[in-house]
Amino acid sequence: MAKSKNLLLGIAAVLLVGQAFINVDYLHPRWSKEYSMGKQGGLASGLGADQAFLELLGFREFLAGMLWVRGDTFFENGNYDAVLPIIRLVTMLDPKNVDVFGTGMWHIGYNFTDEDQRSDRRYLPTALALGKEGAQQNKETYELYYEEAWLWYHKIDDDYPQAVRWLKDATSKPDIPPARRNLLRNAYERNGQPDEALKYMYELQAKAKADYDLDPSRQTQADYGTLTSNIDTTVVRLVQRGNMAKANGGYDQGDYDTKPPFNVGFSAKVTVLEPKVLLVEGTWNVLPVGTRVRVVLRDKDMKDAIPGGADWDKMATSVQLDPPRDLTFMQDQLFVRNMHFSRRIDMSKDPTMYPFAKDNYIIEFYYNPRSAPPHMQDKFGWNGEGMTDTNFLRTDVRPGGQRIMYTSLDISRDQILQRGKWSNLTTVLKTKNYKETGGASGADDDVIMVPSLRSTTSPSAATTVPPGGATNSKG
Amino acid sequence: MTAIWAIASSTLGEAIRRKVLLVILLIALLLLSIIPALSVLSARSEMSAMISTIYFVIRFTSALIAIILTIYMIPNEIERRTIYTILCKPVQRWQFLLGKYLGAILALALMMGIMTALALIMFYWRRPDVVKLAEVAKQPVLYFVEMSLLTAVAIFFSTFVAPLVNFFITTGLWLVGTVLNPLYDSFASNPQTGPIMKVMAKIITSILPNFANYDVKNPILHPGVVIQNEASYYLTTVGYGFMYIAILLLAGIVIFDRREV
Repeated sequence: MAKSKNLLLGIAAVLLVGQAFINVDYLHPRWSKEYSMGKQGGLASGLGADQAFLELLGFREFLAGMLWVRGDTFFENGNYDAVLPIIRLVTMLDPKNVDVFGTGMWHIGYNFTDEDQRSDRRYLPTALALGKEGAQQNKETYELYYEEAWLWYHKIDDDYPQAVRWLKDATSKPDIPPARRNLLRNAYERNGQPDEALKYMYELQAKAKADYDLDPSRQTQADYGTLTSNIDTTVVRLVQRGNMAKANGGYDQGDYDTKPPFNVGFSAKVTVLEPKVLLVEGTWNVLPVGTRVRVVLRDKDMKDAIPGGADWDKMATSVQLDPPRDLTFMQDQLFVRNMHFSRRIDMSKDPTMYPFAKDNYIIEFYYNPRSAPPHMQDKFGWNGEGMTDTNFLRTDVRPGGQRIMYTSLDISRDQILQRGKWSNLTTVLKTKNYKETGGASGADDDVIMVPSLRSTTSPSAATTVPPGGATNSKG
Repeated sequence: MTAIWAIASSTLGEAIRRKVLLVILLIALLLLSIIPALSVLSARSEMSAMISTIYFVIRFTSALIAIILTIYMIPNEIERRTIYTILCKPVQRWQFLLGKYLGAILALALMMGIMTALALIMFYWRRPDVVKLAEVAKQPVLYFVEMSLLTAVAIFFSTFVAPLVNFFITTGLWLVGTVLNPLYDSFASNPQTGPIMKVMAKIITSILPNFANYDVKNPILHPGVVIQNEASYYLTTVGYGFMYIAILLLAGIVIFDRREV
């Protein structure tokens, strides 16, 4: 009997070793690769014990649905902070829920604002990281690639190579609706690739034509008609802005809208009116309405900062629900009317968004023609070839020698907070070329003159300088 | 074989007369019948929410039935002294143990079969698609193998520990076993985990019964997921289950044979 017991135990021991090999070397790796629901670091890294318990029992899609309903209630009540952990939890529980990823990105990227509706851009890396994660988890659909691209295209509105990259991925998915494919054309144009935009539109047009031939419905007819019209517009722009001439080597001989470069004559003055309240004034010699100059106030030593913004992609490494609380990053737009701008920027009401925890800050002014509306781009061109500035034209702050306007002013925390030796003094910072506009920023702001930039009678026509005459100086 | 079968059929009869198991089964059936109504809470993911909830109900209640059914089987026979009337006949102890196990598995198969049938009817009512229905039916098959393994764990411990202790040990092992794979992946991918912890995690993953391998619902819920040679995975995981069941039953036979009753 003892012998047979030993035999049984021996068999059990052999089976124990065998099952260990099968489990560790075959089943577990295959399960992790093909059957695991989430690949964002596993359970232990994200979920709490109670949530993990529900997760492990396979209750997660349903739980995620219920949580999302709860999150919607928080959203309706304006309790935006409470929605954040729900978004994170739901995306962990149900990584295939593209709606929650998409809505979460929009919420994080757009809805955290100060009293004046300025976005808290410290959340942008979180929104981008969430989109990256969502796209990774849902490779079969265009949706999160498109949402990510939209953040780059519309919200960040500066780093267009990223928008193009994500839109290329989105348009490679078969489920993308025809209308959404068109955004890639816009992104190509803003990325300074109008030729690619045109090529892409011809591809879309051929497809739309085939769809129309197959099914001559009102919808397919409208798709085809819209594309044809957009191609016409782009071709006209390519001709008038001189891009086609450039491609043929005839740009120097011809008369194009982008010639000669237009001197925008930027200047700025910043006055600290009260603690954390700034008045930003300045000039911009462009009369037609539509210019928005970007102004940024940030920590001078901010990691991953670039002129006029930040390297958001580098910052978007993981989904962090709490933005860096000691970072101050304010971004606003200076709307130009009648060739000048004046904007009061009040950061005093939002101490968590503007903590001013560092000693030194920088105020940046940035204008990139790629983000300009088409009627401005008709003059400035897609790459700023039709724009110059005597003092602040820069070709070294964006890749590919893009011609943009950029300058910056240094300011200290004591100056912003009116503390220390600045407690009884008013801080006024100016670019070297700033000249007081007197009453220009008063009642006549309501009168908007709208001449064309092509008009030879424009006051700005007399102030143009050739691109070579511009200086890359910092005020 | 006749002795084993006789014990198994008598265990099956006992199991289907136990009120507590019938109540659990009834609750599960009620839950399964209202799942289609609850799935509307998940906009655009109604189907995946419905399927995952069906699986949750089947898995959770099956585990509960398997544990409650098994932990009392041998201790009750000893306590009521009915085991003497069986073992005095020409029935070996190993036959008794195998018969009990087989009876528990049959009872489990019956109850899981009823639950799965209702779940599939509810699913087909919401989505009359035979191909998808066949897809959905795959997971309960593996759950049955998982529960057979869980039953083997419970019967192994029932040979030498009291039912209450057995309940906690078996439940704990099942809970740990269902998160073994994701837990191990977390440890392995976390750069802060030390080498000793990683080795420990690997040893634990190698020794404990890995119930997580039976959770194959991901490609069923999300058809975009590509699986290479699904049949080989299913067969291997079933084979793994049988191996582990054999280990537990062999060890249980040896322990039970030495036990004084």
